[in-house]
Amino acid sequence: MGLHISTIIDGLYFFQIALHAKKGCCKTYSATQNVDYHCTLFQTEHKMSIEEVCRKYQTDIVQGLTNAKAAEYLIRDGPNALTPPPTTPEWVKFCRQLFGGFSVLLWTGAILCFLAYAIQASRSARSHMFDRLSLCLQLYLGIVLTAVVVITGCFSYFQEAKSSKIMESFKNMVPQQALVIREGEKVQINAEEVVGGDLVEVKGGDRIPADIRVVSAHGCKVDNSSLTGESEPQSRSPDCTHDNPLETRNIAFFSTNCVEGTARGIVICTGDNTVMGRIATLTSGLETGKTPIAKEIEHFIHIITGVAVFLGLTFFILAIVLGYSWLEAVIFLIGIIVANVPEGLLATVTVCLTLTAKRMAKKNCLVKNLEAVETLGSTSTICSDKTGTLTQNRMTVAHMWFDNQIHEADTTEDQSGASFDKSSITWISLARVAALCNRAQFKAGQDQLPILKRDVAGDASESALLKCIELSCGSVRAMRDRNKKVAEIPFNSTNKYQLSVHETEDLNDNRYLLVMKGAPERVLECCSTILVQGKEQPLDEELKEAFQNAYMELGGLGERVLGFCHVLLPEDQYPKGFAFDTDDVNFQTKDLCFVGLMSMIDPPRAAVPDAVGKCRSAGIKVIMVTGDHPITAKAIAKGVGIISEGNETVEDIAARLNIPVSQVNPRDAKACVCHGTDLKDLSQDQMDDILRNHTEIVFARTSPQQKLIIVEGCQRLGAIVAVTGDGVNDSPALKKADIGVAMGISGSDVSKQAADMILLDDNFASIVTGVEEGRLIFDNLKKSIAYTLTSNIPEITPFLLFIIVNIPLPLGTITILCIDLGTDMVPAISLAYEAAESDIMKRQPRNPFRDKLVNERLISIAYGQIVTAGFALGGFFAYFVILAENGFLPTTLVGIRLNWDDRSCNDLEDTYGQQWTYEQRKIVEFTCHTAFFVSIVVVQWADVIICKTRRNSVFQQGMRNKILIFGLFEETALAAFLSYCPGMDVALRMYPLKPSWWFCAFPYSFLIFVYDEVRKLLIRRNPGGWVERETYY
Amino acid sequence: MSKDGEKSGWKEYIWNPRTREFMGRTASSWGLILLFYVVFYIFLAGLFALTMYVMLQTLDDYKPTWQDRLATPGMVIRPKSDETYEIVYDTRNTETWDLYAQALDKFLTPYNNSLQTEKNKECTPDEYFLQEDTGDVKNNPKRSCQFNRTILEACSGINDRYYGYQIGQPCIIIKLNRVIGMLPGKDGQAPFVTCAAKREDTDKIGEMVYFPPNGIFNLMYYPYYGKKAQVNYSQPLVAVKFLNITTNEDVNIECRINATNIPIGSERDKFAGRVSFKLRINTK
Repeated sequence: MGLHISTIIDGLYFFQIALHAKKGCCKTYSATQNVDYHCTLFQTEHKMSIEEVCRKYQTDIVQGLTNAKAAEYLIRDGPNALTPPPTTPEWVKFCRQLFGGFSVLLWTGAILCFLAYAIQASRSARSHMFDRLSLCLQLYLGIVLTAVVVITGCFSYFQEAKSSKIMESFKNMVPQQALVIREGEKVQINAEEVVGGDLVEVKGGDRIPADIRVVSAHGCKVDNSSLTGESEPQSRSPDCTHDNPLETRNIAFFSTNCVEGTARGIVICTGDNTVMGRIATLTSGLETGKTPIAKEIEHFIHIITGVAVFLGLTFFILAIVLGYSWLEAVIFLIGIIVANVPEGLLATVTVCLTLTAKRMAKKNCLVKNLEAVETLGSTSTICSDKTGTLTQNRMTVAHMWFDNQIHEADTTEDQSGASFDKSSITWISLARVAALCNRAQFKAGQDQLPILKRDVAGDASESALLKCIELSCGSVRAMRDRNKKVAEIPFNSTNKYQLSVHETEDLNDNRYLLVMKGAPERVLECCSTILVQGKEQPLDEELKEAFQNAYMELGGLGERVLGFCHVLLPEDQYPKGFAFDTDDVNFQTKDLCFVGLMSMIDPPRAAVPDAVGKCRSAGIKVIMVTGDHPITAKAIAKGVGIISEGNETVEDIAARLNIPVSQVNPRDAKACVCHGTDLKDLSQDQMDDILRNHTEIVFARTSPQQKLIIVEGCQRLGAIVAVTGDGVNDSPALKKADIGVAMGISGSDVSKQAADMILLDDNFASIVTGVEEGRLIFDNLKKSIAYTLTSNIPEITPFLLFIIVNIPLPLGTITILCIDLGTDMVPAISLAYEAAESDIMKRQPRNPFRDKLVNERLISIAYGQIVTAGFALGGFFAYFVILAENGFLPTTLVGIRLNWDDRSCNDLEDTYGQQWTYEQRKIVEFTCHTAFFVSIVVVQWADVIICKTRRNSVFQQGMRNKILIFGLFEETALAAFLSYCPGMDVALRMYPLKPSWWFCAFPYSFLIFVYDEVRKLLIRRNPGGWVERETYY
Repeated sequence: MSKDGEKSGWKEYIWNPRTREFMGRTASSWGLILLFYVVFYIFLAGLFALTMYVMLQTLDDYKPTWQDRLATPGMVIRPKSDETYEIVYDTRNTETWDLYAQALDKFLTPYNNSLQTEKNKECTPDEYFLQEDTGDVKNNPKRSCQFNRTILEACSGINDRYYGYQIGQPCIIIKLNRVIGMLPGKDGQAPFVTCAAKREDTDKIGEMVYFPPNGIFNLMYYPYYGKKAQVNYSQPLVAVKFLNITTNEDVNIECRINATNIPIGSERDKFAGRVSFKLRINTK
């Protein structure tokens, strides 16, 4: 325990060094100075005598501070509260949504649009080459792009604001109270007003209001688990027991809990200067990397920009070669780059992530940062805290040994497990001892609650016993009432046992019952007989060995074992009314009758082994990182399957082969239990070695800084690391991890602030749900992007042909926007609802370097194949059909552009010799745009069905996605509405289509569907074949 | 990764001598993917050609499938200046109006009487010149009616080479766009053109003379059977001569077709069934 706590101090120093090395900026430097300063302060205080401490703070050991002094100190030191991490102002958060990631692309597009508008506007002052309509379109496009970014920005901002509101509800709104003594009077004040030098009083159940130097204590125990991860309560006393301030018994730390007893102490540190405060400060100083999905989106932007610039430049050069002027070529360049921007994708991605976040929230995973939704899905390593996450965080009786036999108790949360034979007389005696020799009791007013849910005042092991007995034998209180306590010797570390004397139940029996519990070996020493099948037998060597074996076995399970014995004191020596003196023991404590052993453990949660198994089959490495003892840690690890059956550690192999540990080849051991103290001496390479070569790792006795080293080690090996934890000691690791998962119920505020996700039910199994959802959204985002991108290129090709072969423009800006922001949206979003194609929890986590969200195969499929096959050709076919049926055959069209777009030419001749005014032919052109648009919608029907699956046939996958079916109808209805609604000709320049024109794209729609079904068939038939290598995205 | 590493990474990406990979692919890999795309695109091109071919087969050679967008035929004036419908010149500056005269000369050449008599038929005026096909047998080529330049009299440019521009009495020639099968007018009533000044300019326009008289498009020039069937079709014209238009001021004029069976075009289309232009003659 001592060594373990001292590592925290090491950790703090380590941090200073690391921070220095990393930044060396003055702000960090001063923070470091602070830490140093207070470490020195500590060292004097716990070693100082109480008088010296009083002098230092000008306080009085009886009277406390004067009110004036306290007010003065409060002004000097500030309130006793942790400075919340510098909260980003709301407008910065908003701007981050507005200018982060994907939006940059759209902003660039918008700026280019405005630029093109400016160029054209300045040009058209001189010439009439560009007509006013196309001029305005550039402006409109710019405005629409801006609007899209702003609206999606607002959307995700409000989404995040919503989850941060839930976050805030976690904060304890009831102000913490503290009992201080000022001017000799006890006063309840707000914990924030506590100042250095205050004399405070704490009792069981209180939260320690500041770092205090204990001046007097009565059986005071504190639970340091939130600081150190150590679940065992530790006693506090006024004596300095260690040089190290963190180990000495006479200091109790801020925000830890006093479990039992009372203590009085002088406040030595408040607020941020406390140990807790410093860990919290360190956490906020850590930098975190980008989320995997942010990296993926960045990569996607690179690809898109690459494609856009490549196409733009190609056609810029082409335009120059074709004899366009420089300025026109620049405008074409901008036009093509802008056309490549998928306007609707940002909204689609945001909505998809939001939907998943909502779905996860329903399954008790609250996501603080929208992008973190996907991170769990790509997680390849989970570093899980033990207490509270893997385990129930409550001691429970797991085994009993009586009648020379180990009995298993039911440790499940819902008492569904098997029970043991309760009819044995020995058991009744054992239960009686456990119930009577026990100071724990249920808090009042909980009678209607199930026993396991009730709050208990008292030590964790005693509570476990209390609940166990209450469950199997009924009311303990009644039993205690029947057996009135006469005397008691509380547990202390020299005796290592607890003893009490009771009256017996039988009113005629005037004997006293002495019951004792304690460390098994000590209890056994006091015994001469043993109860077997209700009969007292002499404690012979055979039985002693049986006891030893049972004790070893239970100890080996990582359980805390207690021994129980009793004796009925002979009435002649101890008649009724005998004055038992507990200080100077005047009664028999030898020759007792041993009853049995009971062992306790914090049992794993029921759902955890299953969840760990799922993680394993999903290729996720689960590492246990705990502050607890290695044996306990290992036992739990085995219990939940983190160390799977049959896998041995080096120590196990050594024990099995009976050879020294040093002779075992470490490669033989797949599992590894690593002690925190060993970890300290490891070099980076050795650390990597451990992480790489062991599949099942448990780190025990780790400090916050070591947790951080472990996380960094995993990240160095390329893993995407999720960390779960609840304590303050976990928060640096939570922050450093790719995704930090805090516990909603037991978690400390600091850990919740550092985390990206919060498990509302504290259950490890919820993480698995999160992983599943994360993986699904990654797959589905791929599909969504593939779907959205496919409608992107056909929006450029019309423009290219317009430039190259001088035909009237086949698809206008407005119709492009109608596709991107209108008809494409719902189907793209509906793909987020798509069910998984195969068991996504059976495959390896994605490799962040290889498995990209958008890869060249997706681009090749989207741009090279589906697009040209379906969209462009389908759209162009409709375009040519309409123009031909109106009199302009394709042969006439080539080269017609200049006259076509000439406003003053109102007698343009078609193939048949008819003459057209500008407006008449423009109506035909806009009808073509509408038809092109409708064709794209028709081809998108096939496309969305294609994108539904990446490997399966749609006939295998089925059409169960209702949202997708709705999307199909919605986009068709929208297209029909845009085409036929009166007034659309004026508003959007979209014209009604003749029914036959709707069918132009049908053959192409069918073609791409068949093509893709064949492609997927080939992928399924020849796994790893050429088709899969080239086209599986 | 360091900058150097990135650089060599890039180099390796472009040409990896170990695996003989160019941009991450070996020669055979490149070959295969290119072959795939070539075959794929040839197939697509073929398919597209096929559908286009099928579509073209459904079209009629002599009449487009749809004519609903041409319900109101467009009207156009000559001479036409570059990009606008503005005729602005200075009587004292020959260069400014000579262009218009030349443009009209060029425009009217096909209407020379000699050419017309040579190519076209003299038809019965005031009735449609119908040349229907009898069933599947096409009655081709179809004859066209003569429109002799002399019909335009003072605006024919025969007597007055400058079409009155020089003396501030300019001629404007108006034509109605060709639409296959259109039969304007009703009950033997020929469509005619009327010109008027726009609101504030009414007192500036002065007297006008139309050629042929009343500014009619004679019925015998309709219907039009299309470029292919009726090769030598002469589009009928109407000339307007402004006799005493106010000089040195902008005069906005609108001419429109008057025929009971031609619908009034949409407000948006300024050239359907009407034509507007600005006339400004500078004399000082």
